[in-house]
This record gives sequence, C-alpha cells and structure tokens, in this order.
Amino acid sequence: MASPPELVEHYFRHAYGKLVAVLVRRVGVRHLGLVEDAVQGALMAALTAWVAKGVPEKPEAWLYRVAHNNLMGGLRRDAGQARILESVGDHLAEPAQDEASAHFDGEVQDELLRMLFICCDEALPQESRLALALKTLCGFGTGEIAHGLFTTEANIHKRLARAREKLRQFPINTLTPPLETLQGRLPSVYAVIYLLFNEGYLSTHQEHAIRRELCDEAIRLATLLAIHSVGATPETFALLALMHLHAARLAARQDATGGLLLLEEQDRSSWDHAGIQTGIQWLARAASGTTFTRYHAEAGIAAEHCLAPSFATTRWSEIADLYAMLQRIDPSPLHTLNRAVAVAEWKGPDIALKLLEGLVPPSWLEGHYLWAAVLADLHRRAGHLEQADQYREQALIAAPTEQVRGALQRRLIPARK
Amino acid sequence: MSQRKYLVVLRSQPGQGQGQAPSPEQMQKMYAAFNEWKEKYKNEILDMGGKLKPDGKVVRASGVVDGPFMEAKEIIAGFMVVGADDYDGAVRVASECPGVISPGTSLEIREMVTF
Repeated sequence: MASPPELVEHYFRHAYGKLVAVLVRRVGVRHLGLVEDAVQGALMAALTAWVAKGVPEKPEAWLYRVAHNNLMGGLRRDAGQARILESVGDHLAEPAQDEASAHFDGEVQDELLRMLFICCDEALPQESRLALALKTLCGFGTGEIAHGLFTTEANIHKRLARAREKLRQFPINTLTPPLETLQGRLPSVYAVIYLLFNEGYLSTHQEHAIRRELCDEAIRLATLLAIHSVGATPETFALLALMHLHAARLAARQDATGGLLLLEEQDRSSWDHAGIQTGIQWLARAASGTTFTRYHAEAGIAAEHCLAPSFATTRWSEIADLYAMLQRIDPSPLHTLNRAVAVAEWKGPDIALKLLEGLVPPSWLEGHYLWAAVLADLHRRAGHLEQADQYREQALIAAPTEQVRGALQRRLIPARK
Repeated sequence: MSQRKYLVVLRSQPGQGQGQAPSPEQMQKMYAAFNEWKEKYKNEILDMGGKLKPDGKVVRASGVVDGPFMEAKEIIAGFMVVGADDYDGAVRVASECPGVISPGTSLEIREMVTF
C-alpha cells in the first residue's frame, strides 16, 4: 500500500457536488434530500475505509458505488417505496455499477451544469438559489455557508428547506429536459454566479481564505458554463473575464493585519498577473457578437484598472464612459456615483459634483458609507470644508466594519482641524 | 520486541454524540488528521480494526439470540489492536486517534495475554 495518499485540495467538497449532480440526474430532483444523505454517507465511509486501506484506484467510482447503494437503500426505506422504485427504476437499473462508474468523469460536466440550472430555477425563492448552489454544487456545509454569507445557520437551513420544499413539488418525470432547452435560464444563472462572487469579493469578512474560496467557486461554475456549448456565450465570457480581473487583485486589497487597502494604496506588483492575463483573454472572446451586457461594461472597467501602470496614469476617461454605458444598460445610482469618482480624477471635483447634483439617492444608498465617503472626498477637494466634514462623519458612522472604517479614516482627512 | 499487545475497545451510547454531520471539507481535514496519526504510530498500530455494525448475535448455552445485549447502555462500536511497552504507551496511541473520543464515547484498553 502506498504511503498516506494526498487528496487534492477540496477533493471531498467537489466530489460531493459531482455525486449529487449525477445521482439527482438518475432519480430526479424530488429526491434531493435522499441523494444528499446518500452522498454524505459515502464520504463518511470513504473516510474510514481509505484511512484503513488506502485510496482505491478509482476513488470517484468507489464513492459513486457506495453512494448509489446508499441511495437505493434510502429509496426503499422511504414512504411509498414500491411506487417510487417503479418510477425511477428504469434510470437506476440501466447504467448500474460498472458502466456508470466507468463513464463517471466524462458525464459529470453536463450533470454539474444541469444541477446549476436546477439551483437557478426561477420557481425557487431568490435567496434560496445561492444557498442551494453552495450546498449541493460546491459541497459546503450549512455552517460554512452561514459563515461565508455572514448570516446564521438557522437562516441557511430555512433557505434550503424552502428550496427543497419547492423541488419536491416538481413533477415526477422532470428528469430534467435536455440542457439546450435550459438556455433561457442563463440570466438567472449569471445572477447567482455573480452574487456568489460578490459575496466573496465585496465581503468585509476579515478571513481572506473564506472570501477567496467563494470567488474561486464562482469562477469554477462560470468556467463550466463557458466551455459547454449551452453556456458558451459572449455574456458568459464577459462575466468570467470580470471575475478573473477582480480576483487577481483580491489579495492586494488587504494589508498584513487584514485591513482594507484602497486602490491607490495597493502594491500593483502584487496583483496576480497570470490571473489578469486570463481575464483579458476571456474579455477578448467576449468581444465577439453584437451584445454588450453589464458584464462587458464591468469587465471593461476592471481591465482598465488592471492594465493601468499606476493610479495616476489610469485612463479615467475610458472608465467614466464605461460607467455611463453601464448606467444605460442597468440603471443604478451606484454607477453614477462611481462615474463621478472617475470624472473627479479626469476633470476635477467640481465637474464630478455637478454630475451628482440632480441625483436623489434612494434610501439604501443614502445611508451607505460609499455615498457619504465619495461626497466627503469630492467636497474636500472642491474646498467645501463644512460639507466635507459632515459627510466624513456620516461615512465613518455608516462604515460596516472596522477595516472599512480604518481605510476611510486614512483616505478622508478632516477638512477643518 | 518486548512489545505488549493491547486491545482497544471503542464504546458508544447509541443515539448520543451524534452531533451535526461534518461537512465534506471537515471530513477531508479529518482524513488528513487520521493519516497523520496512522503514520506517526505506524509501528504501534498492529491492527486498525474497524467499526462494528450495530447489530449482531449472542451465543449462549441456551441458544443463539439477536444481539448485542440490549440491556447495555453502551455498545461496542469499534476496536483496534495496539502494540506498546506499557499502558501509558497504548493510551497515548489510542487517545491521539482523531475524533475517536466524543461525547458519549469511551475507550477501554486491555492488555492481551500472550504466551
């Protein structure tokens, strides 16, 4: 027997996602609960057996076999057993052990995608979709999801329960339509992936590892989409470009003590230049076709930042234009606010303030630290000292975490001593 | 080798200590910890033994009945065989085994008589 075998990072977690996807395909999404139990049981069995005897030659086939047997047992025990077995029998019987496990790797991409589409089904409550994707596709435990999403475990349980409840009501024979017919769901899929990414990227969570993991999972799922004919669209490529370009700067956003670093404070040489290259390549592919989506605009902005040699030499005019385009595609006062920041660097604070003049921020933005922080900065630079200090105070009060507050204190120097 | 042999018996109270199921990521950490432990004590662990299924048979002079002894509060959940110079050594190996001792479980260590 070999020396203690090393499993690749997140092996169990990713195996969980694959096995759930493949088995859901076999027995239908109505039995998701049983499938998850069966897979959990298989991983537990592997934990003991692999320590004792070493990792089998084909670990995924091993796991599949055990999970499959567990699932059969689970279905038999379940109420209305005879009926269920009849209705799923065909699918269970035919690919059985050898064939199914032999093809396990090949078919898995399709099954993961299918599961992704299931998680993004519009019949599911919006806040359940993300939790369901994290649980079933990414293999996170409820505690880990709660931790990553900054909420309670009870809340995650509730979201998952709502999703499972809905899935149980799916017609018995939705053994899911061909992938191609699911294309209409792509916008919802993008929304979930981007939300997942932003949970990691924008989170003020001090623990870098958790945030990185959420970003990596979002990129992994989007890559699955991008390399499959069903999801290989310019919009997918743009989303993927955007995430790579942001993720490349993730580590540089944090100083040694976990504090947040502003863009102008970041050490640009510590950006992940290979990641930036990957992002730029996806962006080039996204430039095919005639669509220009919000992801194109956002990826364009991220690319401008990534490719600028320094803060001062950033092409602020390009960035301001891209924010204007973003505003037309997907109107939000946040885009105007961001545009004002770029315009201030490009044309000066007075013109930036003029841009914001007519803008009445909705309540969520008015109470947000970003709104107050940008206004504090612009007013100080325009010489409006009293307003500058007022907004500065607002921004410091509204800061969601100590890290953000620390960055604001450095950036927003009191205008009047 | 003047090593003595010890039987380590894992007892658990059915239905107890069944906290939340570990997440796949936690399982992978446990897997790594197990392997580390196994490597550290590769000379002492003579037989990894294993877990025991919860049901069994009891044979008496009067016949065979289903077991284990239903009146027992704890059932034997697993076992292994450890080689060590003395009880302290055997206790060390067993107690460092990751995740073995949890609420509702205990390890009983008995020296095996060898001739």
